[in-house]
Order: sequence, then structure tokens, then C-alpha cells
Amino acid sequence: MKFICTALAVCFLFPLAEAQSTNDAAARSNILALEHAWDQGLEREDVKALSAIFDNSVLIIDYDGKLLTKPEYLARVKLNTARLHGVVASDMSVQLFGNVAIVVGVYRASVIEGGKPYTRRGRFSDTWVMEGSNWMCIAAIATPILR
Amino acid sequence: MSKRNIVLACFVLAIRLLAQSTGVQDADAGRIRALENAWNEAIQEKNRSALDLLLGPELVLVDHDGLLMNKANYIVSVISQELHPSRVVNEAMTVNLFGPVAVVSGLYRENGIRRGKPYQFRERFTDTWIRRNESWICIASQSTLIRP
Repeated sequence: MKFICTALAVCFLFPLAEAQSTNDAAARSNILALEHAWDQGLEREDVKALSAIFDNSVLIIDYDGKLLTKPEYLARVKLNTARLHGVVASDMSVQLFGNVAIVVGVYRASVIEGGKPYTRRGRFSDTWVMEGSNWMCIAAIATPILR
Repeated sequence: MSKRNIVLACFVLAIRLLAQSTGVQDADAGRIRALENAWNEAIQEKNRSALDLLLGPELVLVDHDGLLMNKANYIVSVISQELHPSRVVNEAMTVNLFGPVAVVSGLYRENGIRRGKPYQFRERFTDTWIRRNESWICIASQSTLIRP
């Protein structure tokens, strides 16, 4: 009897666990794709593409400690006083908590500010939630790496 | 029951449900604010067990200098004898709730003594909390120094 119960549990639970890990892998790759789309949106100053990534209530803390709402962030991208020539995110890790995901990574931005080129390097954390069938960013923060 | 009464009853029910859910959200937001304050007290008192209760085992924390830490590293950094905070406060906190997830943004101020000299941090932070087994735990936290 014990053997039958164990066999049944293995038969039912293994496919469930396998399906869960497939879902998690799909969620992770979707979120990483959105992170890359965000970088591209910044480079191209594509406010429309960026707008689709963020929930309307998103709060963003930029590398200078400024707190921005969605319209304020998009206006900052559009204004682009410090011209971005390349934004690359790396070392990204995605942690999933059901319909919530936390992405932590490093970014490198090539910037020209006041005619002077320099590289901005920082660490970021983004919080994503599944809304309907889409992942939306609900919070983001960037911090310059000082050590 | 007339059609008008049914519509009225539905309307009252909807208002009550809305008020109930707003009440739950307010209660959760209040609870999370209290947890944020408890975190500050734990920093000030270097209280390891309080920190252990507030922070999830999978915590990812990015400090104001960009250093990435896990829960164990962070607790060690708080308990270390290098910093002696005398005042730790949050200001202008906003709590956004998304079902079992809460995102808190605010200003963090810390004053104290480091290696015999006074120090002061003024940072903007974002903390993400999730509800687990009827309690809230922090799973992600990051802060950025505010440029003068």
C-alpha cells in the first residue's frame, strides 16, 4: 500500500514540479527580456515602449536619489540632458515569489554630460508583478557603485 | 423586491465590500509602516533577533554604496562595532500594495558615530515586502544617497 501511495505521489507530483519549473524559467526569461527592452528604450528615448513596461503607480529612485513617478521618469528620459549612448545591464539575478519577481543587477551607462563623456556604473533592483498575463514594473531603484 | 431596491442593495453591498477591502489595505499599510519603524529600532539597538524576524531568508539588499548583501552579511554589518547610530528615522514613507506585495519608498536618515567621528546618511530607499503565513517579511531593499 505504502509503495502504491509513493508511486502515485511520484506520478502526480513530478509532472507538477516539472511544469512549475518550466513556468518559472519562462517567467525569468520574460522578465530579463523586459529588462533589456528597458535598456533599449532608454537608448532610443522610446517613451512609448518604456511606458508599456511600467505600472502606472511605479515609483523610481534614480541614481541621484531623486524619486520619480511614471510621468516624471518618462519626461526625464525624453529630456535626456545627460545623453545616453549605451546602457548595458549585466550580472542580473531574478528571484521569483509567485507573481512577484525581484531583479538585481549591475548597469553601465555611457553618458555625455556638459560635453564630457563618462561611464556611470551602478547596481539596480527592480520589482515586477504579474498583472493579467503581463509582467509590470512596480518599483525600481539605482545606486552608484562606490566601492 | 422591486428592481430599484435590488439595485440599491447591490450598490450598498458594493460600497461595503469596497470599504472592507480599503480597510484591509489600510491595516496592511499601517502594519508595514510599523515594521519599517521596528527595523530602524533594530538597527539602532543592534538587535539581531528582531532583524532576523523582519527579513526574509532570501533577502537581497543593496547598500547606499552599491554593495550587494544577503541577509547574513547585512545583519553582520548592522551588528558590527564600526557604526554607532544614535538616530535612525524614516520620513515621507509611501506604501503601495499589490495584493500580497508591498513596496515602500521613503527617506532614511541615520546619524551617529563611526570610528570616533560623527556621520550622517540621507538616503532614498525602496523596500519590497511580501505576506507570508499572515505576516509581512522584507525580501528586497536598496538605498541611494541623496545628492546635496
